[in-house]
Amino acid sequence: MKCKKCGSKASVNMRQHKLALRKDHYLEWIPEQTERFIKKYDMFRREEKILVAVSGGKDSLSLWDILQRLGYQAGGLYIGLGIDGRRRDVAMQRLYDAESHRLAEKFASERSLNLHVVDIQQEYGQPIPVLADISHRGQGKPCAVCGLAKRHVMNRIARDLGYDALATGHNLDDEVAALFGNTLQWAGNFLLRQSPVLPSTSGLARKVKPLCRFYEREMAAYALLRGIEYIYEECPFAEGSTSIYYKELLNRLETDKPGSKLAFYLRFLEARETGLFASAPASAPDLHPCPNCGQPTSTDDLCSFCRMIEKVSANPLS
Amino acid sequence: MTVKLILRDREYEVRPGMTLLASLQKISILPESVIATREGEMILEDEILKDGQTVKLISVISGG
Repeated sequence: MKCKKCGSKASVNMRQHKLALRKDHYLEWIPEQTERFIKKYDMFRREEKILVAVSGGKDSLSLWDILQRLGYQAGGLYIGLGIDGRRRDVAMQRLYDAESHRLAEKFASERSLNLHVVDIQQEYGQPIPVLADISHRGQGKPCAVCGLAKRHVMNRIARDLGYDALATGHNLDDEVAALFGNTLQWAGNFLLRQSPVLPSTSGLARKVKPLCRFYEREMAAYALLRGIEYIYEECPFAEGSTSIYYKELLNRLETDKPGSKLAFYLRFLEARETGLFASAPASAPDLHPCPNCGQPTSTDDLCSFCRMIEKVSANPLS
Repeated sequence: MTVKLILRDREYEVRPGMTLLASLQKISILPESVIATREGEMILEDEILKDGQTVKLISVISGG
């Protein structure tokens, strides 16, 4: 297969775009397209400060790399979750958390970038799996508590440190898997909120997803071709997750019908834009600041995160 | 007379002379879910795999 730009042997083929590119042309194409999406969806401007949530994975580290290459002011945030990914059959394998932290630190130090680190156990007394156990949230898996804690911390750091927007490395496969799940459930409120940009509201930082139109495979190719060292091991709790199952189903569809994932996402954005998912007048939740942390909540008293921490503090050994 | 494909800790063997795409289909791996490398270089679906070659497959799916 030949590079569309120069005719030499291609390294990456994107069937949905009918576009194959050689390594160096691909490594130019990705930032060019990212810049196009940042502008198209009005994510942020050059003078603004961006906080990139980095997990040590291919998407978030690639996003940070791309924003830096494009000349944006982007700091990083790593959240230590306290998740132990040691495999029984590999005695010396690094813990999942320690390894992802090491890779985020390595990436930042090699490029002289500013990485903020928040350790959940140090700040809130327990690591994520224990918070999940004690609070009895999430039906035996810590993913719900992990999501709640990450959203809380990301918003707090973005606000406290004066960042204009919070950028996450969600790729198109992440977005399409969520869209597929929400469509199967006709989860109207979630469909309404799924967007490349969630504007800032009182107490909530603007959230942006600059990689939302790249396939997961494209981001893995970018990380490999750029020589970005990322954590290849999956979060041990992600095994068997619904979102990975949906991704596999959608990849089956994509293999037979190239471009299906992209079309599903883009047609959804168009439909949302033209009012297909208009909210009922009374459905918007009434938000007010949590009396403990000040972040917006729709509950009458403490926000979900502070309620969970209160419960854990009251029953540390239960 | 074999080509070896490795994905995580699993090894597969296919006969030489097939394309990468046909080889992946033979071992029931979705081409969309992996990136293939040979001697550290990424290769595409139309690449013909030769006897004695080893192809490393990198899973691209992540998330929970």
